[in-house]
Amino acid sequence: MRLRAILAFWAILAAMPAACAAGSAEAPVRVVSMNLCADELVLRLADRDQVLAVTYLARDPRGSTVASEAAGVPVTRGLTEEIVALKPDLVIAGAFTTRATVGMLKRVSSPVLELGVPADLDGVRAQIRQVAGALGHPERGEAMVADLDARLASVTPATKPLRALVMRPNAFTVAPGGLGDALIRAAGLVNVAAEIGRDRFGQVPLEAAALANADLIVVDEAAPGLPSLADTLLHHPVFRALAREGRTVAIPNRFWTCPGPQVAEVVARLAAAANEPGPRP
Amino acid sequence: MSLDLNDVRVTLDGRTILTDIDLALERGRFVGLVGPNGAGKTTLLRVLTALVAPSRGGVTLEGQALSGMSREVRARRIAALFQGAGVGWPITVRQIVALGRLPHRRAFAGFSEADEAAVARAMARTDVGHLAGRTEPTLSSGERMRALLARALAVEAEWLLVDEPITALDPAHQLDAMALLRAASRDGTGVVAVLHDLALAARFCDRIVVLSDGRLVADASPEEAMTDALLARVFGVTAERGEAADGTRYLLPWARSGATTETSDDAIIPG
Amino acid sequence: MNAPVRTIASPAARPLGMPRARRAVIAVLALAVLALTLVSVAIGYAPFDVPAAFADLVAGRTTLPAMVLWELRVPRALLGSLVGFSLGLTGAAMQGYLRNPLADPGILGISSAAALGAVIVFYGGLAASLSLALPLGGIAGAGMAALLLNALAARGSSTLGLILAGVGLSSLAGALTALALNLSPNPYAALEIVFWLMGSLSDRSLDHVVLCLPLMLVGWGLMLSTGSALDALTLGEDTAASLGVGLVSVRLRLVTGAALAVGSGVAVSGAIGFVGLVVPHLMRPLVGARPGAGLLPSGLAGAVLVLAADIGVRLLATRPELKLGVVTALVGAPFLIVLLLRNRGRRA
Repeated sequence: MRLRAILAFWAILAAMPAACAAGSAEAPVRVVSMNLCADELVLRLADRDQVLAVTYLARDPRGSTVASEAAGVPVTRGLTEEIVALKPDLVIAGAFTTRATVGMLKRVSSPVLELGVPADLDGVRAQIRQVAGALGHPERGEAMVADLDARLASVTPATKPLRALVMRPNAFTVAPGGLGDALIRAAGLVNVAAEIGRDRFGQVPLEAAALANADLIVVDEAAPGLPSLADTLLHHPVFRALAREGRTVAIPNRFWTCPGPQVAEVVARLAAAANEPGPRP
Repeated sequence: MSLDLNDVRVTLDGRTILTDIDLALERGRFVGLVGPNGAGKTTLLRVLTALVAPSRGGVTLEGQALSGMSREVRARRIAALFQGAGVGWPITVRQIVALGRLPHRRAFAGFSEADEAAVARAMARTDVGHLAGRTEPTLSSGERMRALLARALAVEAEWLLVDEPITALDPAHQLDAMALLRAASRDGTGVVAVLHDLALAARFCDRIVVLSDGRLVADASPEEAMTDALLARVFGVTAERGEAADGTRYLLPWARSGATTETSDDAIIPG
Repeated sequence: MNAPVRTIASPAARPLGMPRARRAVIAVLALAVLALTLVSVAIGYAPFDVPAAFADLVAGRTTLPAMVLWELRVPRALLGSLVGFSLGLTGAAMQGYLRNPLADPGILGISSAAALGAVIVFYGGLAASLSLALPLGGIAGAGMAALLLNALAARGSSTLGLILAGVGLSSLAGALTALALNLSPNPYAALEIVFWLMGSLSDRSLDHVVLCLPLMLVGWGLMLSTGSALDALTLGEDTAASLGVGLVSVRLRLVTGAALAVGSGVAVSGAIGFVGLVVPHLMRPLVGARPGAGLLPSGLAGAVLVLAADIGVRLLATRPELKLGVVTALVGAPFLIVLLLRNRGRRA
């Protein structure tokens, strides 16, 4: 019995590359996305009838940039049995999320595309192209990259290298070498969090922020109905004092969270805030 | 100068524990409260300290209803020592005894000279002076009992109610404790003690109150209360009686009485 | 024994009044609280000219350093001592009252109820519009718990009944908190709350101090007023009652006091564990086992511990800042184990 099971296992393993190759030869028609960032790219790049399911997170306009595209698309919670029952040709997952499910999917030889976390704008471009290719629409990927580049090109970078500090980023990082850091630099600003260097997750104490001599303090835009403790910070007297000096700018978290064309929006808003004439010291 | 129970009935959880109790206690006397297990002795003591409210009748202290008194006043006038309370923290014997002064202290006030003196007196009378600095877990059960008795004495109340004060003591300290309680009554305190040792009760008490099945079945001097008939009926025992070398009469429970199967059944019902 | 009553001359030291040792312990602890509060104000993340900021503050100049001093450093230091005092005092009161060395301020379920209140208000979306929504929710949760427990306590339920009610309340509030986190529309907010519950004093403002100080003062007063009653309860409830202690009154004062002090503490700082459990044990060898004697020292020692832990998390260059509850648990848990082992040794 055991021998037969082992043989069967090896047979499946041996069959896997063949299955993957078969999947990439022509456009997959049953695609399931298991990660919000994958959802955003899949919904923008795939044909509607290619998409079997996305995550429930994609439908929430407060966290997702593709809520309207996701309307009507079936959603999952990323559980193995949900995914397996859909019998997908291609599963797109994050490299760091739903690991157990991805592991099992690989064992039953479902083709899985795992997306890494890009560290800069080139990484964003590469990931767009990667997903577009896997979906069988490389030309749409090129178009999206071109659109991203055009939007970035239209941004007037900050005229002075102001010092920007992102407070309480949720679900993204502004550490040096991360995408957040790259976006801040693309806007022509200096990333103070990199300078303070205390905190990889950017949970900078307000005191450090106030004394770090930052010109721009970047916070999440409080979304109604989406409670976040980060919002309570906005009420702190010291923060209000900084805001009165015109040193704060709010950018919704969802623009930072995933690699995609929307990251150009972050760069644009940062640069605009920096170029705005204000009572900045 | 009396503590009176008038037609007291106590019902707990639908079960009648005491009924038809009329009792007039007076100061200056040492009263032994005896009866088999489950007779209601401890409940009677709790009624006398207002820990249990009678469902009928009432308790008066010198004509004044006990239930109408403030807790503090009551605590200053009636001291009580209950059985099995133990000591919850390793506090010193002196601290245990000092707790007896609590009813006399105002909130947040310190210890007065009078308090110190009362504590010292109580410790001397119970022979625990040498234990003053010892803490609870290092005390023998007899030492703990004496410390707790000293605590009750330190209240220096008009009334002293004690529940089985000598059970854990060795013979010498049993005799000491009984003598001490009698001496306290001679100083004008009203002493009521729940006792199981009929011999010591007969020897030291001025008056014996016998409870059986929640009723008062005898209330007289030891000689008159503890007749052979009563001992057989209530306790299911026979006693040897005689005269000691010093001329006092003694009583000694000696054997189970013969034809008392029913009563002995009663006696094993836990109270 | 029938001899005339002798009066023993009282020993030179008066062991029945407040012993000199206890007074010294209280004085030293009070000084330590004061010193650590000042250190806490002086210590921070960024180089900061405290005297200059103080000069600005006194002169009424609303400069940024003055604001950092007055709205961040001072509240943080004050909250450290207030929350610590509340935890230490409540721990000592609960252990004394329940005659159980393993009781802690959360034993009646007040901390869990406060956390639940905060979480519910938070997910009601009030946190975005009202700056003190979170602590107010916490206080409301603690208040509800106190009403429930007091209803039980006033009916004269036993100490054991009170503990059982507390355990039940704790689990229920814990489950409802988890449920609220599960239903959260913001997956990151759930993470935020989990971290918040571990206890922290960072980025609090003077508003938080103003909110919790009066509640805590009343709570402290209620609990400190039970000192001699707790002493009497050492001999059991019957004896305490015979000594004039109002058992129901004591219970109500303790439940209400604990709810005010710990509830508002949790509301502003999250749950900081182990302080209330450990501190009374640290004080007992110094001031004796009498529960009433341990109340004030335990409160002060609690303040010292929380202030020290909060200074510690700022000096340790960890990223992100360690949660206070994590630090106190790291120190407290080994202590608890040693305590359990030693107790077992003594019973054997």
